[in-house]
Amino acid sequence: MHAEQVKHDFEPKVVAFVCTWCTYAGADLAGTSRMQYPPNVRVLKFPCTGRIDPVFILRAFQKGADGVLVSGCHPGDCHYMAGNFHARRRFAAFRALLDFVGVDLNRLQFSWVSAAEGGKWVEVVTELTERVRGMGPMKEFKELELEEQWSASLSTPELKAAYDSIT
Amino acid sequence: MNAKAQKAKGCGIEPAYYDAVTQAIRSEAVKVLKEGAVSAVIGYLPGRRKSAAVPAVVTTEEEAGRLIFSPACVNNLSLYLTKAKKGILPGGKIGIVAKGCDLRALAGLMGESQIKRDDLFIIGINCAGVQGAVAAGNGQLTEASIAKKCRECTAHTPEGVDFVAGTLPHLDGLTPLEAEELARIEAMPQAERWAYWKEQFSRCIRCMACRQVCPFCYCEQCLCDKNRPQAVESSPRPAGNTAWHIVRAMHLAGRCAGCAECERSCPMDIPLNLLNRRMAQELKELYDYEASMAPQEKGPLNQYKEDDDQSFIK
Ligand code: SF4
Ligand code: SF4
Ligand code: SF4
Repeated sequence: MHAEQVKHDFEPKVVAFVCTWCTYAGADLAGTSRMQYPPNVRVLKFPCTGRIDPVFILRAFQKGADGVLVSGCHPGDCHYMAGNFHARRRFAAFRALLDFVGVDLNRLQFSWVSAAEGGKWVEVVTELTERVRGMGPMKEFKELELEEQWSASLSTPELKAAYDSIT
Repeated sequence: MNAKAQKAKGCGIEPAYYDAVTQAIRSEAVKVLKEGAVSAVIGYLPGRRKSAAVPAVVTTEEEAGRLIFSPACVNNLSLYLTKAKKGILPGGKIGIVAKGCDLRALAGLMGESQIKRDDLFIIGINCAGVQGAVAAGNGQLTEASIAKKCRECTAHTPEGVDFVAGTLPHLDGLTPLEAEELARIEAMPQAERWAYWKEQFSRCIRCMACRQVCPFCYCEQCLCDKNRPQAVESSPRPAGNTAWHIVRAMHLAGRCAGCAECERSCPMDIPLNLLNRRMAQELKELYDYEASMAPQEKGPLNQYKEDDDQSFIK
């Protein structure tokens, strides 16, 4: 029994950084309960949300992710007692920084999904995937990756003349 | 503006103020070295060019008698106490000359257990301001040459120091250029902000001066130098530059003392302090944390409360 496959023009890539104790187990539960959720999500397992460095999120965007999900244990349920409390502060700060630099925060989702919440996992992943699908591909970071731009553009006539004189 | 008009429009800071601070630093530094209370004093000596200054570690009374304070004393000397500069100081108690913003860095380093208060003799300066990147020809501080951070400084008067040098002259209120710029960028639509920073970051040549000069970038192995696995591309291309700037701002969030040394040392004029200030502002709003002249046991990102805001988490 498979759900009806819908063909879309754009299939977003969604990278999910999850902790092994809660969200990974939750996603596993969704699987063993045969719940359907978008196959767009690539799950990467970490010991704890406290181990998920903001630089991983940047790297994911640079290497082609259109959306990123970070998910772990509910506050108070951390396997290492306080990892998710620290992560919560770090990601609050990181979101503010990304926003200041001009990144659309709708592409970045944080959630708490416990090992028992297979349904919530499906809900979170589906919502993020559909939202990102509506937004289209994440171009900003990919453009940076493709650009070969050395110390700014030829913004003044002098620079332009100097550049043109190189044959 | 000719020189005379500039003087008239100056910050009301007379050269006599700097001379008085200089005298106070000299006599105190000579005294503590003579008494053997410290083995060295980190301060400023005159530079080779006229009205320039260079950071120096002085160990003799003669040298200490040549220490100065002038608008050119821009460096945050707390850098020389960190692990990144180990080996340059003799053992024993060290004297250090510190402006208000440098004191916040010292306090931060104490909070991070990098230095001990007992190992220091701090000569704090009642600081009226120092010059920005472009110095006025005559070495005097004018409204055009004063550093941006000094225009809206909240740390003129040192706290918790062993000796205070000089008295604060009357200071004219100056327009907070940096705060205005910050507000301007924040008011931009998101795509425009991206374009703004993209242009700024694209100029970065990855000389790492901003890292080397920062008292808090004392990691022996910087994440951004690692290449197995590589977290941040190390060549000066747009992708790696953007990642470097985001990582730098993130690593300094809740630690940065606001000394603006990173921005001053940047050869490409990238407004790094805007990123620092934006993060400081956010941490103030979220967790009521501010860098201060008194050491705090934990930074805002090293602690948590059970009821921290989590409205952004599903
Ligand atoms: S950028 Fe980060 S990792 Fe690198 S030296 Fe500074 S604090 Fe350390
Ligand atoms: S990040 Fe810049 S302003 Fe902040 S402490 Fe380091 S050098 Fe000073
Ligand atoms: S000092 Fe300026 S050019 Fe050098 S790495 Fe830092 S931001 Fe880039």
